[in-house]
Formats: sequence, C-alpha cells, structure tokens
Amino acid sequence: MKKILLFIAFIVIANITLSGQDKYFTKTGRVSLAGKSTLSKINAENKAVAVVLDTKTGILQFSLLTKGFEFKKALMQEHFNEKYIESDKFPKSEFKGELINNALVKYATDGVYPVTAKGKLSIHGETKDVETTGTITVNNDKLTLNATFYILIPDYKINAQMNDKVAITVDCSLDRLQ
Amino acid sequence: MKKKRILLPAVLILIAAAVFVGYKIYNKPVKSLTSSTADLKITATDLIKKFETNEAVANKEFLGKKTDFIITVSGAVKEIIKDERGAYTVVLGGNSTRSSVRCSIDSLHNQQAASLKTGSNVSIKGAITGFMMNDLGIGSDVVLNRCVIEVKN
Repeated sequence: MKKILLFIAFIVIANITLSGQDKYFTKTGRVSLAGKSTLSKINAENKAVAVVLDTKTGILQFSLLTKGFEFKKALMQEHFNEKYIESDKFPKSEFKGELINNALVKYATDGVYPVTAKGKLSIHGETKDVETTGTITVNNDKLTLNATFYILIPDYKINAQMNDKVAITVDCSLDRLQ
Repeated sequence: MKKKRILLPAVLILIAAAVFVGYKIYNKPVKSLTSSTADLKITATDLIKKFETNEAVANKEFLGKKTDFIITVSGAVKEIIKDERGAYTVVLGGNSTRSSVRCSIDSLHNQQAASLKTGSNVSIKGAITGFMMNDLGIGSDVVLNRCVIEVKN
C-alpha cells in the first residue's frame, strides 16, 4: 500500500515538475500607457508586471498593481490613482487570455514570431474582451513579449478629462519557470 | 484715474504670478523618497502576514489613506534582480516561503542595490503599491516602488 502511495506521489511530483517546464514567467515586466488630455501628453510606466505564459496551451496572464504606474508629474500620478483608476478600491488590473496562434510559435528555435492574443482585460473593476497582435521573440530560452493596443476609457467607466483612446504598450521578458 | 493706472499692472502681475504658480504645481515632478519620512516601519515577515491574513483590510490600511504610503521594510535579502534595461529589484523574505516583499529600486540608488549581498539584513524605504496574490502560481508578493536603501548590515 505504502509503495503504491509513494509511486502515485512520485508520478504527481514528476508531472508538476514537467508541466512547470512549459511555463515562462516574469515579475518585472513593463506595461506603459500613453494618452492625451487637453493640456498635455500623459505617459506612465509600470515596471513590476507579473506575467505567466504556458507555451503548451498558449494561456497567457498578466497582472499588475495600478499604484505601480509611474508618471513624470506628481499631480497626474495623484489624479490617476485617486480620481480615475481608484487604486484603493481596484488595486489590480488583469489580462486573462490566450495566444490563438500559439501552435505557430517555435519556442525551441530563436526568432521573432507574430502572435495574436485574445482575452479579458479588467481595469477599474470592469472587464472587457480585447484582442491584439504582437510579437514573441525567442532568444536563448528567454521570451520577449511585445504588443501595443488601444483601449477606450469609457469602456472601463473611468471618469477622466482626457481623450477616450489610450495606448497600452507591453514589453515583458519571460524566463522559464523552474 | 491714478488708481486705475496702478490697478491694471497690479492685476496683471497677480494673474501672471497665479499662472506661474499653477504651472509649477501642474508640472511638479514625482519626487525621490530619499528624504521622506516613513509612515510605518515593519519587518518583511509581518508585512506579508498582514496581506495574507486579510488582503482587503491591508489594502484599506496601505492604499486608501494617501497617494504615497511610505514604509520602511526590514528583512533578509533573498534575491537581487537586474532587468534587461538596468532596473533593480531587491526581494526580501525568508527562504522557507515563496512569499516576499519586492522592492523596485529608484534608479538613483542602483549602485547601492547592486552592492547588497543575498542573506544580509537590510532596511528599504518605498511607496507601497499593493499585494500580488499567488493566483498565477508564482508566489505572492507585497510590492514597493521607488525604493531607497536605508541601512545596510
């Protein structure tokens, strides 16, 4: 009985280890946003974005803390957190989705691969479907994800005095999850 | 008549001053935390425990009160990370747990971050941005931004 249990435990552990090898992750990914108000350009960057990509299934997840967006101007940072995003009520922003053409990426071969990501983006407590194209650069077992897409401020019920369209740029380098 | 002659330039000067001050306030850069006083001093272990016990309560305590809630965290250096663009992150916490406090270092303090040794004790001051739960399967973290290294041991 004990031997059987040990054997089962071994299989389970072996599976966890094996499945772990298909996953890539980072906790220092970068996501920036760029928009315009009547008075000036608005730019901010978050350098502590968590990303996990399962290369086997193409399942892709992003998670970031909205207070981590750094602006050049202190007043903008304050307004962003307190009036627009309401970081105390909605501290996190997430993307949960997949690469719909994951099978075309050769993760074992260095190169730049065009990809399309599709999924649900949650900002300010509102969740919307998004789809964007981008690239995955495979270099020496490291994956760099790059993409730029646009979101509409009213979609996320954000009450900001700025143009509706905001560009979101993703630049994240992922390492293999050990 | 004489009154008007004084009044007009005075009003113009006042308006100019107001515009100048307004412009200065509007453009005020985000300041370094080097000389800021911490709102709270806490160990990395206790800080993690606060968020793991009740994330909502901790969020309220740390994120709801003001734009920058500044804390000084002390603990053992678990890892020092330099990303592709040269930005440093110092990870504090014990080796027995996957939970940690991640401190994104203000680029003014990169050299100090680079000189830290894993396993040594350190105090780091930064603006807390929140808690990343372990929902991605990569460990949970309390995250601090714009960090300054206060004490090296």
